[in-house]
Amino acid sequence: MMLYKRYVDVVTLIDKEGTMTPVLIIWDDGAKYKIDRVIEIRKSASVVGGSGILYKCRIKGQVRNLFFEKNRWFIESYHP
Amino acid sequence: MKERVILHCDINHCYAQIEEMKFPQLRNVPMAVGGHEESRHGIILAKNLLAKKFKIKTGETLRDAKRKCPELVIVHPNYDDYLYYTEKVKDIYREYTDKVESFGLDEAWVDLSSSSIFGSGEEVAKIIQKRVLEEIGLTISIGVSFNKVFAKLGSDLIKPSGLVVITRENYKETVWPLPVEDLFYVGKATKRKLEVMNINTIGELANTGVEVLRKRFGKMGEVLWGFANGYDLSNVTHIDYQREIKSVGNSVTAIRDIINYEDAKIVFYVLSESVASRLKESGLKGYVVSISLRNNKLEWFTRQQKRDIPTNISKEIMETTLELLKNNYDFSIPLRSIGISVSMLVPDDYPSQMSLFINEEERDKAKRIDETLDKIRNRFGHYSIHRACVLLDSKLTGFSPKEDHIIHPVSYF
Repeated sequence: MMLYKRYVDVVTLIDKEGTMTPVLIIWDDGAKYKIDRVIEIRKSASVVGGSGILYKCRIKGQVRNLFFEKNRWFIESYHP
Repeated sequence: MKERVILHCDINHCYAQIEEMKFPQLRNVPMAVGGHEESRHGIILAKNLLAKKFKIKTGETLRDAKRKCPELVIVHPNYDDYLYYTEKVKDIYREYTDKVESFGLDEAWVDLSSSSIFGSGEEVAKIIQKRVLEEIGLTISIGVSFNKVFAKLGSDLIKPSGLVVITRENYKETVWPLPVEDLFYVGKATKRKLEVMNINTIGELANTGVEVLRKRFGKMGEVLWGFANGYDLSNVTHIDYQREIKSVGNSVTAIRDIINYEDAKIVFYVLSESVASRLKESGLKGYVVSISLRNNKLEWFTRQQKRDIPTNISKEIMETTLELLKNNYDFSIPLRSIGISVSMLVPDDYPSQMSLFINEEERDKAKRIDETLDKIRNRFGHYSIHRACVLLDSKLTGFSPKEDHIIHPVSYF
């Protein structure tokens, strides 16, 4: 399966301890996807290019790799 | 004494690899990172493995490179990214020891002598390589040895992703057969001189009498002999260590050739203001002003002059600069890039002997003008205020040396 690098808008929650958790992804067309669960967080390089902190997320039953790269978010997207 | 364990880690073809990491499709084409040809910064800074096959060399002009490989993809450098990702890589090194010494952006020595809980040097090297690849997406070559020079040599042997261990037991077999120019600080000129003495390998250098080398190369001969024999005892500095500033300089490759004294003068004005301003920022002043000139045949030389009183005033730096220029260049060949640097530094508040023949009031005035200029520029930007003369050719002088340049070459000594 071909993956694409897509930068996305992300709503995050920063709790009192300073931990950052992505909550909501907003697609370019305005569609919003709630992140149901963050499965794993670690530093990682991405197959679509770039590296940063990987947030492996469960979204509507699917697992997607969401990356925090420097100061913005991208997702390894199945759609160009 | 306990045997030291020193790693030298080198990010393989650093700039090019970071671009590949950002855009993986670049791995499938010959690619090089190079400056902008339009502004004449057109040299190859780094190339990927495919470009290497076309014998493209770091430092050659884009034009030459394109001739060797017409389909070569040129990516313009993104220094912010290089600083960011190389720092991330060094953060990984710093998890294993507090002795990490950077050597440029892409290289670093890591001293593991007193942090053996993570395993032997070789084991830690493997872990670091794996982590850098997985976490940052970059390959690094590592040399492991008992001194910095052999560690660096080891990291150069296999690219990419090499891991070479050089021990006291095996260095005679691994290091000594290598050509002498592989040794740290043996450049083209030294290599030629050594060849004349029939010294072609590191082993031959190591087995030459130190007296012979000292006679031929002075102090440096002794140093090289020590390097070849593995006697280098220099320490890997602590992560907090800040290199003492030995000189402050700025240079520029002009947008067009500098064809006469007047051209050079206005460019030097911009440079001297920047150097003066950076000296003052660091609280320093210096005795020696040097200029470096590179003509459009890429030949290069420097000239320097010592002043009686140390200075960080742009007007005084400029006086010495112009004197040096007048005495040393006739513009028979146009200049491509020029630079100023000030060395033999002392603190700005260092007491200096006043002279009866120098008007201290004037000096004070000149310094205050400089400081005012700096204040205005800090607030409103570099281009907000200028000497009228630089407007004679605003294209030629339209650069901001203080903001534009980032990366300084470093010396081992």
